[in-house]
Amino acid sequence: MTSNILDNIDLRTLGELLQQARKKCGMTQSDAANIIDAARTTMVAIEKGERRLKATELIKLARAYGRSVSDFVRSRPVIQPFEMQFRAAYQRSEGEEVQIEPAILRLEELCRNYLELEEIMSAPLPQNYPPEYEVTNMPLKASAESIAVAERQRLGLGDGPILRLRDILEQDVGLRIFYLEMPPKYSGVYSYDERLGGCMAINANHPEERRRWSLAHEYLHFLAHRRKAVLEFEGQYQRVPESERLADTFPKYFLMPTSGLFKRFNDMCRTHGKFTPTHLFTLAHYYGVSIEALAYRLEEMELVRTGTWERLRDRGLKVRKVQQELGLEDIPQRTDTIPLHYQHLAIEALDQGLITEGRFSDFLNVDRLEARRIAETLREHSSGMMEEASDFDLINMPE
Amino acid sequence: MQIVNSHLILDACCVLNFCASGQLLAILKSIPVQVAVTQVVREQELKTLQRLESEENDAATQFEAAIAQSLLIIVDFESEEEAESFVNYAAIVDDGESATGAIAFHREWAMATDDKRAISFFRKETPQIQILSTLEIVKYWSEEAGVDWQTLRDALNLIRVKARYMAPKSDPLRSWWETAMK
Repeated sequence: MTSNILDNIDLRTLGELLQQARKKCGMTQSDAANIIDAARTTMVAIEKGERRLKATELIKLARAYGRSVSDFVRSRPVIQPFEMQFRAAYQRSEGEEVQIEPAILRLEELCRNYLELEEIMSAPLPQNYPPEYEVTNMPLKASAESIAVAERQRLGLGDGPILRLRDILEQDVGLRIFYLEMPPKYSGVYSYDERLGGCMAINANHPEERRRWSLAHEYLHFLAHRRKAVLEFEGQYQRVPESERLADTFPKYFLMPTSGLFKRFNDMCRTHGKFTPTHLFTLAHYYGVSIEALAYRLEEMELVRTGTWERLRDRGLKVRKVQQELGLEDIPQRTDTIPLHYQHLAIEALDQGLITEGRFSDFLNVDRLEARRIAETLREHSSGMMEEASDFDLINMPE
Repeated sequence: MQIVNSHLILDACCVLNFCASGQLLAILKSIPVQVAVTQVVREQELKTLQRLESEENDAATQFEAAIAQSLLIIVDFESEEEAESFVNYAAIVDDGESATGAIAFHREWAMATDDKRAISFFRKETPQIQILSTLEIVKYWSEEAGVDWQTLRDALNLIRVKARYMAPKSDPLRSWWETAMK
């Protein structure tokens, strides 16, 4: 390595990265200038990419910003800052930026990591994207149901429950889905970038039924309003726009398709001669939706009387308690922050010696010890074997 | 194991393994040259070492005790050349490995790491650096200090369980490790 990276690096990009890092830790240009014993104007020039940094200066700044030097000098994919996509949403809802910005920055960083891993492994995420659905001036419910039916057909889902919704959207569609902690009123975030494709963050703190609903909701945005970034939080609109109403309507058709639900409801009624609250709980568990969502769906299909949910609620129905009494186990769920494919790319990169253990830890956002635990688990899960024993090509396996 | 240099500088993965063994001080005492760790590794890994702590294994305390007894010295960049090499290496491997390799290269010290990526990078980039591994050093300690098999087995088991370290199949000491663990 005879050449010096600071002589060859794109100074403008480096300057931008330094500026973003400085702002993230709330420092001014004067503060940063003091760290490297320089004038503020020097710092301005560095951030504009007009002055070459000395190695010692970069090290001092990285330490002050709490970042690794590697973050600034290694070759990383360039993506459009998510902040720009959400600018309109921030302007519409004053004060929200402060609350949700950490989750959006985290989503951006994770998406960039994902792309970096794909580049390291020369394995781009397979995308099975349908053309964007045209919904302008179409009736809302008919549009939502028609898209739900078409997508179920496209993905070979039949009319039964979609138990592993997150896995299907990640692996069969090729969306980047992260479960991140957000303030309670936020359910999710949707973003689209030409390089990344569709990206979602779902509130990790919500119960699985709600996360599944949010996944379906954001999926509709991907299907019908692909290039529009969306923040989802309660009380956002005085008048809910049509795009949101469509996204609110879609999950019930996607998660509880009319034909399948009708058949299962009928089977239950025929077998038992009635449809009891126990049946309601069992059916909601079967579809992986909340009791409330199923009750409203059955009311809408005129299979139970309008107001059934309100009457149950007014009687003091304790959903979690009844679920426990009925012995209904948690619905299948994968609550990891990062997608499975991302995890597998990371472990393959580590095992092939393409990234260091330290970088593997960074990609998983855990310390080295936890990274080693995850690595063991991933190796066991991927093949039931450990280490090199799992790193061979089964397609070309000798007889 | 023969160290031809004046110092041996440890990378984060080795520090973690030695601390997990419960024998950090004893291992350091057995090494015939001064042992060092970079400031970068210390900053990054201290929290991880604290997570290793339990009644029978005081990893972070051992680490600080080793520094207090000068069995381990903390080193940082002392010249623009060292800093430049660090920044150059950081484009390829992460900060801990880069700092360790940069200092080892400029001061002509030996380094210890188990990281596959770091080993292949430094073997190619700075072939003059002697690179040792966790197992080479533990084996050396067991032989030099005349450690009984039970103590050695316990240390290796602690490294395996607490630090979740497994000797790679390609490691020349793999069969020694497997035998010693029994």
